[in-house]
Amino acid sequence: MTPSALRIFFGTGSWIILAFLVLPILVVIPVSLTDTSFIGLPKDHLSLQHYDTFVHSTKWLFASWTSIWIGCVVAVVATGLGTLFCIGVWFLSDRAAMIVRWIMIVPILVPPVVQSLGFYKFWVTLGLIDSYLGVILAHVLLGLPYVTISVFASLSNMDRRLPLAARNLGASIGMTIRTVIIPAIRPGMISGGIFAFIVSFDEIVSVLFLTVRRVETLPKMIWEGIQESVDPVIAVVASIFVLITLIATSLAALRRS
Amino acid sequence: MTHPIISIRHAVKTYGKFRALDAVALDIHEGEFLTLLGPSGSGKTTLLSAIAGFTALDDGSVHARGHDISGLPPEKRDFAMVFQGYALFPTMSVAQNVGYPLRVRKWSKDRIAQRVHECLALVQMEKFADRMPHQLSGGQQQRIALARALSFKPDVLLLDEPLSALDKKLRSDLQWELKSLHKKLGVTFVYVTHDQEEALSMSDRIVILKDGKIQQEGAPDDLYNLPKNQFVANFLGKSNVVNAHVIGTQGEHLLAEVEGRQFCATYDHANSPTGQVNFALRPERIRLGPPGQETFDGHIAQISYLGERCQVLVRHDALGEILVSHPTWDAALQPAPQMPVSFGWDAGACVALDAS
Ligand SMILES: Nc1ncnc2c1ncn2[C@@H]1O[C@H](COP(=O)(O)OP(=O)(O)OP(=O)(O)O)[C@@H](O)[C@H]1O
Ligand SMILES: [Mg+2]
Repeated sequence: MTPSALRIFFGTGSWIILAFLVLPILVVIPVSLTDTSFIGLPKDHLSLQHYDTFVHSTKWLFASWTSIWIGCVVAVVATGLGTLFCIGVWFLSDRAAMIVRWIMIVPILVPPVVQSLGFYKFWVTLGLIDSYLGVILAHVLLGLPYVTISVFASLSNMDRRLPLAARNLGASIGMTIRTVIIPAIRPGMISGGIFAFIVSFDEIVSVLFLTVRRVETLPKMIWEGIQESVDPVIAVVASIFVLITLIATSLAALRRS
Repeated sequence: MTHPIISIRHAVKTYGKFRALDAVALDIHEGEFLTLLGPSGSGKTTLLSAIAGFTALDDGSVHARGHDISGLPPEKRDFAMVFQGYALFPTMSVAQNVGYPLRVRKWSKDRIAQRVHECLALVQMEKFADRMPHQLSGGQQQRIALARALSFKPDVLLLDEPLSALDKKLRSDLQWELKSLHKKLGVTFVYVTHDQEEALSMSDRIVILKDGKIQQEGAPDDLYNLPKNQFVANFLGKSNVVNAHVIGTQGEHLLAEVEGRQFCATYDHANSPTGQVNFALRPERIRLGPPGQETFDGHIAQISYLGERCQVLVRHDALGEILVSHPTWDAALQPAPQMPVSFGWDAGACVALDAS
């Protein structure tokens, strides 16, 4: 093939792959605007009737609210714990610290089903099944690796002399962390927190394992809804879902640049 | 008796098998401008950070006014450090940087504002109070780092190559400023540099380090005129090293001989050298003359013209190549390549060196 043909080949290829990735996600948006009473593309005109149903359905609103507040709590807790962990490891900066850092990332590598099974077994013993605390704890553990990766990136960019300078000028370790280190790594903490929020907001596997009736998150509701009916409200929920995730991700991306 | 403001006793710091500090003993006196001078990797930063409390010593101790402070964390020591590369806090403005040590010490807002203004005035940076560090040039950052270190009136200022990142012109301006600040404030300065000119022009006392060991310490002119060993002789300015046989003493000088020609040299009266000894000889202390006039005869191998002076390389059969710094305004002798000349020096221009 000539170079230009190659370029066209790879150019088209990457656009097709991109479309393949994005279109199934975006298709929920026209579906959510359908004028029919079943899931499908709009027939005669666009309609907001299913959005209307959504905002008047306590069940959906409650699940959305649950997912959002759980996500926020998870983001705050995971960012707090992850940041403390990173600062500790960074101060030690020896072999053991390196190993612990790698262990922190393991949750990303383990298949979610296996991990959820582990949570399930353990949570039964702790009596945390079907409780908000149980879901939050599991999500914090799933979100931590993202926080540590992001915060550690910020920490490695920080001048190692800054904390030394602070202490030399009279600040205790606690004050140094509060007044010098935290401000310097704040961007990493915020991105980490947003990632933890997204992880929790999207998560379904562990929720299916850990909850029964009492805790209903948005992903779980969608999952259950799709099984028992083909109500287009699900498309509305999915659209809102995509929107929130998109906003959170672009916030994180914007902070990066 | 007053104690030295800092006293370092038998300081040892090892990294694995490597000795970054090797039995360093040093007293630093109140109000002096002390320079730690040495090549890269000689342990200057390590010694400074042992004083500041960032580096724990493997052996020995650091004392402040007679009290052992080896176990004290850096924030309890009241020594202010100006870092190589300044280490200004990037998220704080200039004024916040300078006020940081005072906020940490819980001063009132008004007092902080007043002191910050004073310190910025001291380094002529009042106009920049609201800038962020990344909006400043290297020289300006340097001044802010200095103001920040001085703001809490520390006993001792530790400066780790504070000028090394600056260009030559700015560096000499700031050298003057630092020197006059030292005079004005009376704070003890411990200054690290690997620039020998800087050390000679600024210090009350210089400590020369090599491989974690102190080679020699003393006033700049003492070190320059009476180097103890070959390393010091060559690190501070240029020196010729002349090997000669000691044949005795003459008055307060040592008498040495090369190929039947004799010369006098200064020596350390505590240990009288004998046998073959190395001597240091400054190029500017050597006189050139027509053949036969001075002690040794040789011929000129090379000349480089430097304006006021020229450097002449004279070759002698036994002594090898001798570097001479000759004034160009000397009409009596205008050196030319291959010209036969004689050279010699006054008694005492030559200094006997320790072996090693
Ligand atoms: N953390 C460390 N681990 C291992 N070796 C170290 C460490 N810190 C310093 N060293 C070694 O100790 C020696 C002295 O280092 P130091 O930083 O004191 O040198 P320096 O005199 O300040 O040099 P420079 O003029 O280049 O700043 C060097 O050989 C260096 O490699
Ligand atoms: Mg150094």
